[in-house]
Amino acid sequence: MSAQPFVVLDGIAKRWKGALGVQDICLTIEEGSFVALLGPSGCGKSTTLRLLAGLETPDEGRIMIDGADVTHRPASARNLSMVFQSYALFPHLSVAENVMFGMKVRRVPKAERLRSLHRAMEITGLLGFEDRKPNELSGGQRQRVALARAIVAGQRLCLMDEPLSNLDAKLRHAVRKDIKKLQQDLGITVVYVTHDQTEAMSMADKVVLMRDGEIQQIGTPEQLYSQPENTFAAEFVGAPPMALIDGAALPGFSDGHTIGVRAENIVLAETGQGDLQCRVTDCEFLGAETFIGLQHPQARGLTLKVAGLKNIPAGQVIDIVLARETLLSFDKEGRKIPQG
Amino acid sequence: MNRLSRHLDSFGAILLAVIWIAPLLFAFWAAFHSTTDAVNFNLTSRLTLDNFRVAWDGAPWLRYFMNTFLLVTIVLIGQFIITTLAGFAFAQVSFPGKDFIFILVLLQLFILPEVLIVENYAMVSRLGLFDSLLGVGMPYMASAFGIFLMRQAFKSVPIELDEAARIEGCGWFGVLLKVYVPLAKPTYLAYALVSVSTHWNNFLWPLIVTNSDKTRPLTVGLSIFGAPENGVDISIISAATIMSVAPLLIAFLVFQRQFVQAFLRTGIK
Repeated sequence: MSAQPFVVLDGIAKRWKGALGVQDICLTIEEGSFVALLGPSGCGKSTTLRLLAGLETPDEGRIMIDGADVTHRPASARNLSMVFQSYALFPHLSVAENVMFGMKVRRVPKAERLRSLHRAMEITGLLGFEDRKPNELSGGQRQRVALARAIVAGQRLCLMDEPLSNLDAKLRHAVRKDIKKLQQDLGITVVYVTHDQTEAMSMADKVVLMRDGEIQQIGTPEQLYSQPENTFAAEFVGAPPMALIDGAALPGFSDGHTIGVRAENIVLAETGQGDLQCRVTDCEFLGAETFIGLQHPQARGLTLKVAGLKNIPAGQVIDIVLARETLLSFDKEGRKIPQG
Repeated sequence: MNRLSRHLDSFGAILLAVIWIAPLLFAFWAAFHSTTDAVNFNLTSRLTLDNFRVAWDGAPWLRYFMNTFLLVTIVLIGQFIITTLAGFAFAQVSFPGKDFIFILVLLQLFILPEVLIVENYAMVSRLGLFDSLLGVGMPYMASAFGIFLMRQAFKSVPIELDEAARIEGCGWFGVLLKVYVPLAKPTYLAYALVSVSTHWNNFLWPLIVTNSDKTRPLTVGLSIFGAPENGVDISIISAATIMSVAPLLIAFLVFQRQFVQAFLRTGIK
């Protein structure tokens, strides 16, 4: 990692005809890292990516890539590559022509072009498909062509806009691993937009959580999971998300505060000896464990994790104990209160 | 009732088709028979190619063919360049007054070309292009229909392809040439068909603006050849007519499938 960050977004804002797109985006990205922009739809994560790509121009702020101010440079002069959600393969060109498109535009000599093509095809497992047209490929193959096009020219920065959202669940999992491995093998910097927190948590070195055009939290997946900065982060990250309990419902916590607890820190207790008494709403069996949904008038998102298969009839009242040292407190505005 | 109306539909269609094709069929008939046999509809009469021989020697047809061919080529090239650039601007470039200017362009569709003949004549003379093929073709190059067609075709290109090409290092002209134009190929084919057949058959404007055999296209040449002062011989005129429509007719028959597909894909009828 170099001393100076590879990519810097400094106070970026973008408005659409007065309506807010994104604002106050400050973000630094180290070379060779995998950064995920995470958030619900409409949170501005794609806008941020497009600003970085040069497909939109920011109203405020500066963008630096590799030490150069590229704020007003067009997309074609930013030396990056991008994988689109729809893959954006040129339907009139063959796989090989699609992959070599950028190198042809940049007038790379033919011999070198073919060498890079072969290497990219090899890496993405597309050898033998060079002469096919995109519409003769399956969704997963198209996705790999888009990846090949992004890596073939050896750009150091690669942007990905929800590249897995058009794949089925099983393929998504496999490609997720492939992308991560590719990024590490090539040592490239990836900025990855997704609304799926599992994707962000499993792939990224650094997760940027966004909502309503603003950054909520930047941190490693571990930080986002165990130290959410606010209730939004607590409820967005993790499966199941963090449960939030009204402070008044728990002894020893002040009114108006919200207490956050992860499912793994909730334990079933003997009747009458728990912190909270809840009603069972549903049981979700996942194989190794069962998630038991709980209902309490002063809490939301309470889930109890039990190993193996456990079936508690809905409506039954049970008691739970919370592991005290793991609880997080949030103030009235939903911000985390520092512990200590 | 339903069956009757269906029969009526087919009957009407066949009737219209017969009325439409009748002059062409007669021209074919007349072209291959001597004049007397042709008008008497003598079915057993001998086929002859004499009419073609006489017609061919009667006028500089090769020159006319060449002129028409050059004319439609010049017009088509000019139209492709102008409608591509204008269509792209109206579809994907944002500039002030875009909608207003586009409406002005569309208004041109409501004006019959014949209305503009005098003004066009004056303009072509001022440009010093009178009696030249460029002068014949020029007024048709900035075709409103073509601009509209290209704009629609370019608008239907997914924006991600444009963006992907720009990220890969293309400027606007590169994007236009490498993404928009190839993807609008069916539209170009359909438009080329319309343009070529229109200008192959165009008569009034070339008649006015051409003055010599050097520039005269087929239609004008044919009308001079068939003018009453040269004596009316229906068989010879038919032969000349068949000659002048033959290239277009053959081209259409050969490329019929592609043309129909191109039309279906672009949605013009």
